[in-house]
Amino acid sequence: MQQQQTQAARNPTSAESTAEAPPKQVALAMDRLAQAARLIADVRLGADRLLEALFVSAQPHQTTKPLHLFLKEDSSMRQHLQDLRTIGILALKAFTDQKRRFFPHLDDGLNGQSSASESVPKKHCGSQISTVTQQEELSDYRTLSDLLMHVEKDMPNMKIFTYQRLDWLKRASTLPCSAEEFLMDSSKEHDFHISNKPRLGLLGAVAADKVAVIELLFPSIFRAIISLHPAGSIDPDAVAFFSPDEGGSYVHARGFSVYHVFKHVTEHAAMALQYFLGTNTETALYSLLHWIFSYQTLFTEPCSKCKRLLSMDRQSDLLLPPVHRPYRSFCAIKSSSPQSISSTKNQTLDASHAYHVGCFSEEA
Amino acid sequence: MPLKWVFHWQPNAGTTVNSQMLTEVSQCAESINGVKEGRWKATLTFYKPMFRDQAVPAEYPRDFLGISLPEQPNRYYFIIRSQKIVLEADSSIQMIMEKLQSYKSRVSLTFEGFQYQLGDFQLRVGKVAPSASENLRGIVLEVEYLPLSSMEKSRQILDGFVEIWQEAMSKRSLPGHFMHIEPNFAEFGLSDHYTSQHTAVQYATVMAQLISAVQTAQAVRN
Repeated sequence: MQQQQTQAARNPTSAESTAEAPPKQVALAMDRLAQAARLIADVRLGADRLLEALFVSAQPHQTTKPLHLFLKEDSSMRQHLQDLRTIGILALKAFTDQKRRFFPHLDDGLNGQSSASESVPKKHCGSQISTVTQQEELSDYRTLSDLLMHVEKDMPNMKIFTYQRLDWLKRASTLPCSAEEFLMDSSKEHDFHISNKPRLGLLGAVAADKVAVIELLFPSIFRAIISLHPAGSIDPDAVAFFSPDEGGSYVHARGFSVYHVFKHVTEHAAMALQYFLGTNTETALYSLLHWIFSYQTLFTEPCSKCKRLLSMDRQSDLLLPPVHRPYRSFCAIKSSSPQSISSTKNQTLDASHAYHVGCFSEEA
Repeated sequence: MPLKWVFHWQPNAGTTVNSQMLTEVSQCAESINGVKEGRWKATLTFYKPMFRDQAVPAEYPRDFLGISLPEQPNRYYFIIRSQKIVLEADSSIQMIMEKLQSYKSRVSLTFEGFQYQLGDFQLRVGKVAPSASENLRGIVLEVEYLPLSSMEKSRQILDGFVEIWQEAMSKRSLPGHFMHIEPNFAEFGLSDHYTSQHTAVQYATVMAQLISAVQTAQAVRN
């Protein structure tokens, strides 16, 4: 019976990789859940038997019977646990794949539902197709240097710097400094530098395979810090926004600004990052960089819904500008016209949508 | 440092400022979720030159002001508005001036009141009175936006705040309104990056407005 279970667990592996309609895969998943539940019951039973064997062996005048019992239970327990692990791995893979395909967001209330079939948003099929197109178009941007060089062209006024992790912490502690001071600083010896040629990648003195922190600076507007993991990859794992005048050891990709506006943007950015990673990990950094670029209008663009710049946020009782920029339709817009990647016109389209916390809704 | 706009109360024609208005303004700050934090105080002093002889008084500026600001306890600011000069000095300069006896303090005014925190905004509401008396001569309002230091980049945010503030104030039907006159900072050699020197220049401008308002009121009375 155990063998049967293991085989049943292994067989559907090939079926997973094909694009099947959700209900069938859900049925498979449910079936495997049931198998896992049976295994867990077996494990519990086995644990009881082990305890029983131990108890019996503690009694005086025993034969080797409890020992045999113990050994038998031990081996069957091990098998149960192995089967459980196998099912667990498969289940995790299945759920992760499905989550990425249909539920790329962690915060839209669908987490608590046990049945995935209840709510498969049709619109995500559209974005799935567009992300495939985008992947083909961005196939050049596999390395960090390539990516940053291309991104620099798309994003005037935004300064991009790269650091090794420890170097960033050192730099963060020397902040704040005005833009002029910073430019003067860079002429001295440091581990980072600004290139005088705007079109050249800014990796400069930092070895590309050690880059773990990307700093995006919009002078006088904001500073965003992205963490890459592993170092040298194009995989972002955290992002945070700060005032350009903020400084200190808390200024890093997992830190929080002391200012409310940037705290809110950082929280929103965390969700955007999860969305970009969930949609397509290879283009996540590219999307993130462009999405961050749209925040140059943080203090100038009125809310697309209420048309005001400042609004009293009901939840926090704070006056805030529109801190939300839509990210769900972000990729789709970008790939709908292949030539638009380097065009700023589409970015204006993206950047023209900004929302207050209270004005932001799923329609974005 | 964070930028701020300094406003002064412009009473309607024929009215004067009183302490009831000050209370109303404070309540207005609280009505938009301002949290009262503490007191603040700035002083402004008019200096006049001490002449050894009566020779050339015209060479000496008539609007030589000295300002002390609460956020810079170790600094003292000089402004000569007519010449577009602003200078930041150590606060011990006052003692030096005292010893030199080259300039003497003519009139001294105090700006003081309460400070309110509204998220990323900081408000200061203050009465203007001569240092020697409690006679209310005016009301000032400072609006500071903490995350930004660039005046250009923050202009729309401050405009947005003013809109919200005016909406809240209009509910109180006070005979007057707050005015902000932005000095031409470039003429004073100041950049877009905000500093306490900008604040000193704003206070000098506010002073000029208050004087002109008082003079107008006097003219109306006469």
